[in-house]
Parts: sequence; structure tokens; C-alpha cells
Amino acid sequence: MRRMRHTYVWFAQLVTAALIAAFLGIHMVLMHLEDILGFFGVEIHEPTSWGSMIERAGKGSWLAFYILFLAFVVYHGLNGLRGILLELMPSPKVERVINWTIIALGVIAFALGTYVPVALFQS
Amino acid sequence: MSTEKVKKLKFKVQRFNPEEDRAPHLQEFIVPVIHGMTMLDALFYIKENLDSSLSFRSSCRMAICGSCGMLINNYPYLACHTQIEELKAETLEIKPLPNFAVIKDLVPNILPMGLKHRSIKPYIIRPDAQEMENPTAEFCQKPEELNSFLQFSYCVKCGICISACPTSASDKLFLGPQALTQCYRYCADTRDNGTKDRFPVVDTDHGVWHCHLAGACSEACPKGLDPALGIQLLKRLLVTRALGIGRKQPLVPIVLPPTVSKLKIAAPEFSVPPIQRET
Repeated sequence: MRRMRHTYVWFAQLVTAALIAAFLGIHMVLMHLEDILGFFGVEIHEPTSWGSMIERAGKGSWLAFYILFLAFVVYHGLNGLRGILLELMPSPKVERVINWTIIALGVIAFALGTYVPVALFQS
Repeated sequence: MSTEKVKKLKFKVQRFNPEEDRAPHLQEFIVPVIHGMTMLDALFYIKENLDSSLSFRSSCRMAICGSCGMLINNYPYLACHTQIEELKAETLEIKPLPNFAVIKDLVPNILPMGLKHRSIKPYIIRPDAQEMENPTAEFCQKPEELNSFLQFSYCVKCGICISACPTSASDKLFLGPQALTQCYRYCADTRDNGTKDRFPVVDTDHGVWHCHLAGACSEACPKGLDPALGIQLLKRLLVTRALGIGRKQPLVPIVLPPTVSKLKIAAPEFSVPPIQRET
């Protein structure tokens, strides 16, 4: 059987969609919905303050969380954009240009996105 | 003298002759409509009594051949399968199926659909070529195995699903619901072993993964098929095969027909051992 590359690409799109929902849920609840957490007895003191952010940045678990979150979002978003562009410009020649442009955009976005948390973690 | 009630309706029919016209235009006809008259009957009335140059395809007049697909009041129908009374309209606008080039008037060029259909190899593929060429017995397929794909085998290749598909409208390279559903129909057939030939055709950027599941194909299909379901089942087949999960059914065995078995000929002697379907 051939490698079935497009099947894996599409399956990854589904998996990242589910993971984004889970990761975004964790992010939203912990960062922006502390009142709701407080209702359930979980007290988080000003999660969006500078001090809280610096404290989180020093933890490896949060570093891994945000790098993974970024990877899922970059893949899901850019692969979706690629699908739209391929549908609007159906041509084998354009397809190669779109693919490499999307890959380059993804690498740049991921590199820029990981730079800040990694730099904060190391500092 | 006939007492049948006759109602005169206005028909606006799209005309286009590429040798003479620069763009399509609508031509009006007044047609006397009686109870039980189909859209195809009305088109024949126009051709025989009002304008013999009108071009349209038709053959069986009973929704079997799939020739007379056309856009009637902005919805794709088989003209022979559409009662004029049921449309409940005083004016009827008839155009060729969208998402196809027009050859003349109401005749769409369905060649791209045929080529895409052919590309998915719409026939039983088996390793035992000798048995296929010179059959000695019958495939022993269970009713439940047949039912898993039966509805998809009722496709009449009318192209209505493609004309309704929004993805086919924007992506001319998209295989379309017709070819994708037929791909599933043969891949799901337990007599078939051709997935390795078909998967590379549908596992592309313009293949099965470009279906957005709008469901317009299932809504429009005049034969009551559910092509959207077929495409989703094909996606599941591809994913389970790629991940190496799911149940792999063996090819159905070949056995003697019941009439021969009744003659007390030992069937096992003639049966062919099961062949594992390729993954």
C-alpha cells in the first residue's frame, strides 16, 4: 500500500482540532475564568498579572504546554488555509508553490512563537 | 373529445449554440400542460411543435439511464422523473446542469465525470484473473455484505450530485461525489480486492479529503442515494487502513451455484479457498 500521505495529513487535522479544543479550554479556564474556578473552590490569584506570568514561565510543564498548543494551532490553521487555497486555485503548478509557502510560514510562525517562552524559561 | 384539463405554462429554456451565440440566453415557450406530464414531455412538445432546434439528452424516460439531468427552477432534477404539477409554478426556467461545460442548449459535457469515474476503476478487481476471465462458479456473498454497499450501486451517472456539489463548483480537479461514492461502492464490496489501485487515486488534495460534507449531493440525488455517506465511509476506510486498525474481511469464496449443488456434486471440491484482501 502506498504511503497514504493525505490520509495522515487529514487525520492529523482532526486530532489537532480535538487537542486545540482541550488546550484552549485549559488556557481559558486557568487564565481568564478564575471567577468560575473560584465558584468551585479553586483559588488562582491574578493569573494574568506579570508576577504570575513570570512564575509560570519558569516551569517546564507550562513551557511544554504552550509549545504543544502553538504547534497544534499552527498546523491546524495553516493546513486549513492550504486546503482553501488549493480549492480556489486548482492547478498542479500552483499546488507546489502553495505547499512550500505554507510550510515556510509554519516554520517561521512556530520559531517566532516558541522564542518567547523558551527565552523566558531560560532566564 | 378529451375532457382533460389543459393549463398553459410559460417555459423559459436556456439556449446556447457555441457556433452562433456568444453567451447563453433564455427563450420563452408556452406549453399546454396536462395532468401527469413530465418536464421531459414538455421539452419534447417544444421540440416537436415549437422549435425543433432545441437540444437536450434523454433516453429511457423512467429515471434509469440518467441522461436528462437539468436545472429546473434552480434545482437539479431528472426531467423524466419530474412531474410539472408537483413543481407548483406558473413559470418554469430550465437550464443545463451547472458545474459542467455546455455543449448546446441543455446538453452538458459529462466527459470529465466519465473520466473521473473511470479513474477509480469502477469494476471488481481480484487476484484470480483466470476465474474472472473463465468463471467456473459463483461468488458467495452474504446478504449483509451486499447491503453494506447496495444503495451506492444504484447510481445512474446522471451528474446531478456533481452539479449540486459546492466543492465541484470551486475546484475543477475535485473528483466529485459520483466518483468518490463509486470508489467506496467497489472498495466495500467483499468480492473486490482493488483498494491498492483505488486509494492512490482518491487519497489526494483533490480527492476524498476535499469533501466538505455539505450534503448537497445526497439532497439532490434523484435515485435517493446518500453519496455524502459513501464519501464519509470512504474516509473511514482510508483512515483505518492507514492506521492499520479495523476488521479486514477476506474475499468471499467462490462456490458452485445452488442448482449444481442440488445434483449432489460435492461443493467443497469446487470451492476456492478464501483469499485475504490486500491491505
